[in-house]
Amino acid sequence: MTRSHISRSFLILCFLSLVAGCESFLDEKPDKQQVIPSTLRDFQALLDDFSQLNDNDPAAGEVSTDDYYLEDATWASLSETERLQYTWSRENFFTSPYNDWATSYTPVYTANTVLEGLTKVAMTPANQDDWRNVKGQAHFIRGKSFLQVAILWAPAYTKGNATGAWGIPLRLSTDFEEKSRRSNLQESFDQVLSDLQQAAKLLPPTQVHPVRPSKAAAYALLARTHLYMGNYPAVAAYADSALQLHSSLLDFNSLSAEADFPFSQPNEEIIYRSIIPVPNALYISNARIDPELYASYQPGDLRHKLFFKSNGDGTYGFKGSYEGNANLFSGISTAELYLMKAEALAGQGDAAGAMDALNTLLVTRWETGTFLPLEAANAAEALEIIRQDRRRELLMRGIRWLDIKRLNASGAAITMSRSLEGRTYTLPPNDPRYALPIPEDVIRLSGMPQNPR
Amino acid sequence: MKKSILLLQLWCCLALTAVAQQPLTGLVRSATDKAPLPGASVVLKGTTTGTTTGEDGTFSFTPSLQSSTLVISFLGFKTREVPFSLPSREPLVIELEEDDHTLQTVQVVSTGYQDIPRERATGSFSTVSSAELQQQAGPDILSRLEAVANGLTVDRNTFGGGGLLLRGLSTIQGPKAPLIVVDNFPYEGDIRNINPNDVASVTLLKDAAAASIWGTRAGNGVIVITTKSGSFRQPLSVDFHAGMILTPEPDLSYIKQMSAGDFIDVERMLFGKGYYNSTINSSGRRVISPAVEILLKERKGELTPEQAGAQLAALRQEDVRQAYRRHMYQQGLQQQYSIGLRAGSDRYAWHFSAGYDKATDNLDSHSSRINAHLRQTVRLLPRLDLNTSLYYTQRLQKSGRTGYGEGTSANAPLYPYTRFLDEEGNPVPGVRDLRQSWKEAIEDDRLLDWNYYPLEDYRHDHTRTDLQDVTGQIGLDYRLPFGLEATARYQYQRQHSQAEHLQDEQSYAARHLVNLYTSLDPVTGTLTYAIPPGGILNRQQQQLEAHNARGQLTYTKAWGPHDLTALVGGEVRQNRSSGSSRRLYGYDDQTLSFAQVDYRNRYPTYVNGSTAQIPNGDGLNERLSRFVSLFGNAAYTFRQRYTASASARQDGSNLFGVAANDRWNPLWSVGAGWDLSTEPFYKVGFLPYLKLRATYGFSGNADLSRTAVTTMLYSFMSYYTQNTLAVYDQYANPDLQWEKSRMLNFGADFRLKGNRLTGSVEYYQKKGTDLFGRKLLESTAGIGSTIIKNVATMEGRGIDVELNSINLEAGAFTWSTDLNASFARDEVTEYYLSNLNGSSFVNTVPTISAVVGHPVYAIYSYKWAGLDPQTGDPRGFLDGEPSTDYAALTGSDVQVDDLQFHGSALPQWFGSLGNTFRYGPLSLTARLTYKLGYYFRRRSINYNNLYRNGDGHADYAGRWQQPGDEAHTDVPSQVYPANSRRDAFYQGSAALVEPGDHVRLAYITCSYELVPDGTGQLPFRRLQGYATLQNLGILWKATSQDIDPDYNLGSYTMPPARSFALGLKAFF
Repeated sequence: MTRSHISRSFLILCFLSLVAGCESFLDEKPDKQQVIPSTLRDFQALLDDFSQLNDNDPAAGEVSTDDYYLEDATWASLSETERLQYTWSRENFFTSPYNDWATSYTPVYTANTVLEGLTKVAMTPANQDDWRNVKGQAHFIRGKSFLQVAILWAPAYTKGNATGAWGIPLRLSTDFEEKSRRSNLQESFDQVLSDLQQAAKLLPPTQVHPVRPSKAAAYALLARTHLYMGNYPAVAAYADSALQLHSSLLDFNSLSAEADFPFSQPNEEIIYRSIIPVPNALYISNARIDPELYASYQPGDLRHKLFFKSNGDGTYGFKGSYEGNANLFSGISTAELYLMKAEALAGQGDAAGAMDALNTLLVTRWETGTFLPLEAANAAEALEIIRQDRRRELLMRGIRWLDIKRLNASGAAITMSRSLEGRTYTLPPNDPRYALPIPEDVIRLSGMPQNPR
Repeated sequence: MKKSILLLQLWCCLALTAVAQQPLTGLVRSATDKAPLPGASVVLKGTTTGTTTGEDGTFSFTPSLQSSTLVISFLGFKTREVPFSLPSREPLVIELEEDDHTLQTVQVVSTGYQDIPRERATGSFSTVSSAELQQQAGPDILSRLEAVANGLTVDRNTFGGGGLLLRGLSTIQGPKAPLIVVDNFPYEGDIRNINPNDVASVTLLKDAAAASIWGTRAGNGVIVITTKSGSFRQPLSVDFHAGMILTPEPDLSYIKQMSAGDFIDVERMLFGKGYYNSTINSSGRRVISPAVEILLKERKGELTPEQAGAQLAALRQEDVRQAYRRHMYQQGLQQQYSIGLRAGSDRYAWHFSAGYDKATDNLDSHSSRINAHLRQTVRLLPRLDLNTSLYYTQRLQKSGRTGYGEGTSANAPLYPYTRFLDEEGNPVPGVRDLRQSWKEAIEDDRLLDWNYYPLEDYRHDHTRTDLQDVTGQIGLDYRLPFGLEATARYQYQRQHSQAEHLQDEQSYAARHLVNLYTSLDPVTGTLTYAIPPGGILNRQQQQLEAHNARGQLTYTKAWGPHDLTALVGGEVRQNRSSGSSRRLYGYDDQTLSFAQVDYRNRYPTYVNGSTAQIPNGDGLNERLSRFVSLFGNAAYTFRQRYTASASARQDGSNLFGVAANDRWNPLWSVGAGWDLSTEPFYKVGFLPYLKLRATYGFSGNADLSRTAVTTMLYSFMSYYTQNTLAVYDQYANPDLQWEKSRMLNFGADFRLKGNRLTGSVEYYQKKGTDLFGRKLLESTAGIGSTIIKNVATMEGRGIDVELNSINLEAGAFTWSTDLNASFARDEVTEYYLSNLNGSSFVNTVPTISAVVGHPVYAIYSYKWAGLDPQTGDPRGFLDGEPSTDYAALTGSDVQVDDLQFHGSALPQWFGSLGNTFRYGPLSLTARLTYKLGYYFRRRSINYNNLYRNGDGHADYAGRWQQPGDEAHTDVPSQVYPANSRRDAFYQGSAALVEPGDHVRLAYITCSYELVPDGTGQLPFRRLQGYATLQNLGILWKATSQDIDPDYNLGSYTMPPARSFALGLKAFF
């Protein structure tokens, strides 16, 4: 063996010993907190990120409703986006990248991550409860998000227009490079229903906290979806299924009307907790409650005191968020279930059953001993009474916008109007502006058709 | 078993071999302290044949002639010529006289892996000597480099500015900072730990051939810092340095603050329009300003118009900058002391230094640093050296008073009329968090005082940061036969820091939180505290542990006209950083007692009963990075005239995932050098030395935070579900790669006759590929609007010139000049940026614009058509006509092509010029730095921000108010309600773009040196006193605005104050 051979062997040896240990040495993960989401625990941890999933419901719908109005000075002090939204502007008022569209689709990505990840996790007898729970939550989140988007960015649903109208993009995978495409309205709602039905099948009856959706929440959201779609038999059935799991009501007599915020969460009415982070336009001292709506609360109705705070000048602000602060509760409560059940029964002609459901709710809203059960001569009258109370009970929850859309679609002819600085703005029934403009950058990057304004 | 036999054979062979040649050997040392001079150049006269001295000052080489003359030169010493004849019986001992009169380039450059004689280097190295570094005062090494290093600039013009850039940008979205190496290994701790007095030299590795030995970390260049060490056969020498730096108060008038009178006028107008009504009525008790409180009292009839007017008039006289100047700022003082001792026997050499730095800054924040450094070399066997080094640093920092703009927020801005004291000298409460009049109206005296006193609060709100760093290195050098040398080194570094932020029970922050979470039972009237009264302690600990191990084999052989140096080696590194943070409520610093709080449930707050969780400050983190690298390089020189070099390196890490590691090809470089002046045909008498170099190669840039797969981070425990929640960290990027940087470098080194002018000129081209860039995403995807991928390429080119000249030598007087001049231009050549909306390119702080064909950071603007003569509205151009249609002017129809392109946001021409004058023992150096060829966007009034956040600007005073004003102002008229698009248009318009070109005087230093006459009367060898003026400000700038283009990023940014340093250095 020559010297050069020896030294070469020596070198190779040094190198080999170095390299041999490398593979496992380099396998260690760089950040202890950083993991590749792959286990049920990981998925649940993602689904528990309430700041993305529960604290980010879109405000655009509520800002556009007629439950409140703004004074000229307040309106002038708002951001451009809110000023334009308030007046149903034809301009594209969403600014990118942070807007209601983006925050509505963020939970969809999480849901898809979980649903894709679950295909690689086998369901075993040991993990099946968790497995089903996690999968159910993912379907619920995706269904809820799609429903929110459809209510804001697609026209109202009617049987007649559903296959002809533009729906929303349905993102069903985590491939973020994929270009969006608008489905038709029917496809959009089919997807919402399918996700929520899956969720209802998989979710457990109750969860540790209502930030996680339960079976009752899935039934309730199915009822809300069918209500929006005008399908009363399904509303009645789903509302009833939900009520069988969770029916307790808060006795409003037990709450302090003096408190700045009389409600708190969690409370026994909350089936699913999510909120709209309050935009400036809807802030208590800015959003003045429509005087007609305020006047419609009868003496003895505790909501009068518990929901409203006087501004000292004869106008009122809303303090009745179940969240217990200025943020607007936009989840699901048992009260909404009673109201949906009542409306669905009335819509199917069962006036007595309908009023029964309504009275069950209202007795908890009135001063003890003062409430006289309401009666309706016929189903049409029942429907009228129930819709009025629905508005009184569910204001500032992001629900009024969907109600106006669905009622107008079935001929209610609600025209909203605002006056500002001597100018009047109106939004006639079924105006194309009921489908909000999709953010410009999304249209540009995807090539999807924009909503006509 | 086979292995060990092999090894045994190897050892035997090596031990038996003896060296047959009889070379010329010798020792070069300093005439004054007999210290060996490592790295001195030993050259055969009239040739470039020669060598450099090793670490112990010795040299050995085989000259081509039997007798001739050696020319020995070394930085800071007078060049000597020594005749010799072979064979010589004894080694030559050559002593050099010290000579401070020239600042020549160092003859040996260090890559962190090896020392290369400059003559044989092909790559681009630039050296800063200790002497040059010592011309400036200041506690950290990097801040001294800007004014003296070649090709280096500090970016103060883009977001996240303040970082070093070597030869401009090499990346778009990746890390931009050069790698910093201290004594052979990357420095993982805080570089401010290093005491500049311990630094022997700094080498900048600028091109691929110089830097690619550092592989994937070298894409932005490398800064190699070498600390001082002792040498063999050296008598004890001691040096001592004491110095101080005085920094006067900063010039607050630089801040373009709106005047109190203007601010009150705006508030009065808004009040009249009802702008504040919703705030006034808010149940959240949102803050309103002192002026609006007065107006409100007037409206309610609590004050007569006269009283209100008088109170407002008093406020109009205030200027919060005066209050800060009077009560907060003071003169800063830094003291520096250091001592160094070194000595060496035949077999043992050591160096010990210790430093103590102490500073009190302009805001009375105290800091101190203690350094101790021990370096030893033991010659265990004639061929085996053991090197050890231990570097200890302890730093302490204590917070001081509150500076201008600190701790303000949109919630409670800094009102220009804020006072700290009233007429009677009582502290005035400042507006913070909640409405002041509401706080004052609280009658329940069981609550803690809710007032915030800006003048006092810092006494109760302290942050103290302690840091300790220990870096230990051990190395073995074994000189094997056949010119082989084996080196093994291991370094361990441990840095521990602890930050304690104590807000004691009297601090506003603690009182505020305690009060906020106090609830009042309306029935019983009892108070319940969710947070128990007491202080709040936030404690953060961070620990860093780095292991580095390296094995390296060097082969050096000279035979006939051939010289070969080659090295191969491998390296393993691991960095682990872990930290924890903890918050304690109800904390009492005297008894160390604290209380438990419930983070889980929501509690009603005192303000309006809305519920909230108690803020939680607990957390843990841990990061680990590991690298395995193999490297090698070789340089071959023929006839001391032609040099060829090559290097290669392969890295693997745990950060990128297997796919990226596998895909990674080695990074390599090649280079060639040609010493033209030794060619027989070379007859240029005035230019006795001329060398040409060319290199080409690749280095990489790794962003350690990116991953190939979707990852999430476990975060805090959800208060709802009591389950730890997770958030996304990185989104899947299967194509993730390391950024590659390709560089081509041409250089020429030259020396004029008599060393009148020495220097180098280099030209380089670089191309970055697979660069991280932001790719736009549809927000429908649910992960935001952009994602970072390897999508971009960019090209850069530039010129670096380094010149040192001796302009005049007349007796005891010398005048010398050194110039660093650089040109660097970058250009994006490929980018997946589908968003070309003009509005994204006119941000106040330049963000990456990345338009193909333009610089990475560029300044664009909306074309400016002046103010509307009738209304004072800012106007742009729409279809060539002046327009005020702001929706269209700033809308998506305006693409980047429609904008005015001004130029780069980073200086393209930069450098420094130093002049040194000496007269005997007296010397004076003045250094200018300059930055040219770039633009910046200045700030101005934004009415929307003014109304909404109280964020004003002095430009308001010069706004358009009546027709005719447009002739002398570009500041738009005031409108209400604010039109944010109008503001955005003005903000992005050409009216606010200014040229950044400027020249500043970095420092002037003057020193006097006392050298004893040899009669032994004085106890020292040399004594030097110096005085330095630093940060002398701008000498010339292109913009007519009163703005320092380097200090324009934030609205509170101020240029550093001039400082004055004095000191004494003694050498024994």
